[in-house]
Amino acid sequence: MHKKTLSDWSLDFCIYLVLLLCGLATLLPLANILSKAVSDESSVVSGKVGIFPVGFQLETMKYVVSSSQFLHSIGISLLITVVGTVLAILVTAITAYPLSKRHLPGISFIMLLFIFTMMFNGGIIPNYLLMKQLHLINSLWSLMLPALISVFNMLVIKSYYESLPEALEESAKMDGARNFTILFRIILPLSVPVIATIALFYAVYFWNDYFHPMLYINDAGLKPLQLYLRDIVLNADSSNALNKSTDDLMNTSPEGVRSATVIASIIPMLLVYPYLQKHFVKGVLIGSVKG
Amino acid sequence: MLKKYNKAMLLTVAACLSVSSLVACSSKNTTTGGSTSPASTTAAVATTTGPKPELRSLQIWQQEDYNTYPVAKFLEQKTGYKVKYDMLPQDKPQDKMNILIASGEPYDVITSVGGTDFKALYADYAKKGALVDLGPLIDKFGPNIKSAVDPEALEAAKVDGKLYAIPTKSIPTTSSSLYIRQDWLDKVGMKTPTTLDELVAVLKAFKEKDPGGNADKNIPLTVRGDAPFIDNIVGAFGMPNFWNNVNGKLTPRIQDPAYKDYVNFAQDLFKQGLIDKEFAANKDATAKEKFTSGRAGIIMLNWSDVPVIIDALVKNVPTAKANYLPALKGKDGKIGLSANQGFDRISFIPKASKHPEDAIKWMNAKLEKDTFKGMAIGEENKHFTFKDGAYTPIQPIFTDERNRANNFLMGTDDKNYPTYWQARVRKDLRLFEAWKFMNVTEANVRVLDPLGFAPYLPEFSKNFQQLNVMVGDYTTKLLFGAEPLSGLDAFIAKYKSSGGDASVKEVNDWYATAKK
Repeated sequence: MHKKTLSDWSLDFCIYLVLLLCGLATLLPLANILSKAVSDESSVVSGKVGIFPVGFQLETMKYVVSSSQFLHSIGISLLITVVGTVLAILVTAITAYPLSKRHLPGISFIMLLFIFTMMFNGGIIPNYLLMKQLHLINSLWSLMLPALISVFNMLVIKSYYESLPEALEESAKMDGARNFTILFRIILPLSVPVIATIALFYAVYFWNDYFHPMLYINDAGLKPLQLYLRDIVLNADSSNALNKSTDDLMNTSPEGVRSATVIASIIPMLLVYPYLQKHFVKGVLIGSVKG
Repeated sequence: MLKKYNKAMLLTVAACLSVSSLVACSSKNTTTGGSTSPASTTAAVATTTGPKPELRSLQIWQQEDYNTYPVAKFLEQKTGYKVKYDMLPQDKPQDKMNILIASGEPYDVITSVGGTDFKALYADYAKKGALVDLGPLIDKFGPNIKSAVDPEALEAAKVDGKLYAIPTKSIPTTSSSLYIRQDWLDKVGMKTPTTLDELVAVLKAFKEKDPGGNADKNIPLTVRGDAPFIDNIVGAFGMPNFWNNVNGKLTPRIQDPAYKDYVNFAQDLFKQGLIDKEFAANKDATAKEKFTSGRAGIIMLNWSDVPVIIDALVKNVPTAKANYLPALKGKDGKIGLSANQGFDRISFIPKASKHPEDAIKWMNAKLEKDTFKGMAIGEENKHFTFKDGAYTPIQPIFTDERNRANNFLMGTDDKNYPTYWQARVRKDLRLFEAWKFMNVTEANVRVLDPLGFAPYLPEFSKNFQQLNVMVGDYTTKLLFGAEPLSGLDAFIAKYKSSGGDASVKEVNDWYATAKK
């Protein structure tokens, strides 16, 4: 290591400065919403709330967090995310395994079928009709079943399987293992990095999904968080008065409540993410060293 | 590697497979459809004698779940019908409604809002045969609907002479006007302006005499950027609504002869610094911020915002007082505040409904006098008190149990509802005062939207939103001088060719028949 010169120092300084500014830029809007959520409504209306709360209060947060609809929606979202991700990983990993065996007869034809669905799909109305015929409208399964396998994710896992040495399986076979044992006791434990990555993809998808619940869920009791949020956040703006009846105008939710809802809804992710990300990063690292 | 030939063959096979699976799927659809329909008809027959069926109702979005809302339980007790409520999303409800109608989801009643967009959708469904003709059903099962709902409203809800929806009339209201700092007026020693000239004098005094103590940061009048037609002021030019009666013909503002005068007037205000310099960039919230922080003297405001605004204002400026300006008179005595009228909601029965008769019976039962009152505002001495002809809510139970009751209405008792409804405004005295000033004190200057009860007008519905935005943007540009007024003729020509002409013709063809 050579001694740092002045230009090194100034370069470091610039890098830190830029990174700091970028970090702040992403934090500022969040800080603003957080402050609005815990400031009193008068201060919010008169535009005094910037990065720091003015007239600190927790009533709004309490009101939002204790609202039964909100708790319900969080619960639904968690359920979909957890069950959906576990099932999706299972299905995707199982599908990818035989497809990684090039010697399987007709493999390229089956691959083609998968790839075909990547490029073409029926569109909204046929999908809706399909769900309806399957009696899945207003059922949480309509949000999970169609998303259980993403061909792209499956291809990622498949290529990872292919990178594993074939000799491994042969030796397992010689020891008397059959296909399921090989997959679950040998292949999957070796695939933790890629599985973790894909699990994160699926989890984020299930947590963020807004469009499908909007289509398939009519029952207010089954609304996931994103749908609930969208409704709350949109429910404002008296500038939209032309399309609203007088009663609706009197019932718009205040800015503070909307901010508090947004904040309350990101708390679960904020709690989970750092933990998840730690594993995620570690998983990728193992993968690259082995690669 | 696959040969090209093989690839092509595989593709065809894949295509065939997907097609055949589609066919298989659709044939399965028809068989399941066939097997369920006899079952449902027998169920329908059984209901005429047996217990009342559970109805399915699709409603517009509200914050609480309909099914657990107290009004739902009240209605179940009174009408004997158990109803499962679903709701449309807040975001693009039209799209969702289209999907549900197209896929034949068996709702027994669908209630949407009654604005132009939804009136157009409703008429479209009716014309395509997706809705049940309610006429014969109402004759048979709907005596209350006939007696309670305003016949004029029922007439206006007809499509091609047939009634497919129960309309819920809105309470005609003026919602927006100019809201002024009374304490500023007192400080500059002036009286409440009643004419445009007096208004200009007041604005000048606000700018020059610094009643707010903001030095040169005083904003005499602030408005939103998307509202270049300033309510109350446009009334003084005889154009309170988007469409106004000019010599017996309905005319959109841009083609109104008074348009130039209005633009000249407002432009002049802007040049003198009497209108917020940044008004074009103002959102609803920014204009409110300027007013509540004590920098603006007058704001264009909805009365529904008054309690929040006054709270914030007084917190920042404890001595502040504010109230609405009366309607201002123009040079030739013109005066007017825009008031909306028309349908608040429309409720219709899709063809896919399994119990259309029961749906009408249910709606009829909801319009039974006492049931309607109980649904709308609750029980006397529990939810409200009645004194000297006025209904006053008892809080907090009124807000807890009847605040969303308006979403349960399907047609109203049109003679009594406007009086019942005032209980809603009386939940806050400041709200009531603001509403009363514009709608009772100033009732004689209200100009009802002439298109409120217009039937579905295809050209008008197709274009009105886009045209309104076009005119709004153009007028904003004129006001702050980004466009010269000399280009007006060219703009009008563009307006006419973008659907303006077709709309004017269609609207006036209807207007001519409606006036008779």
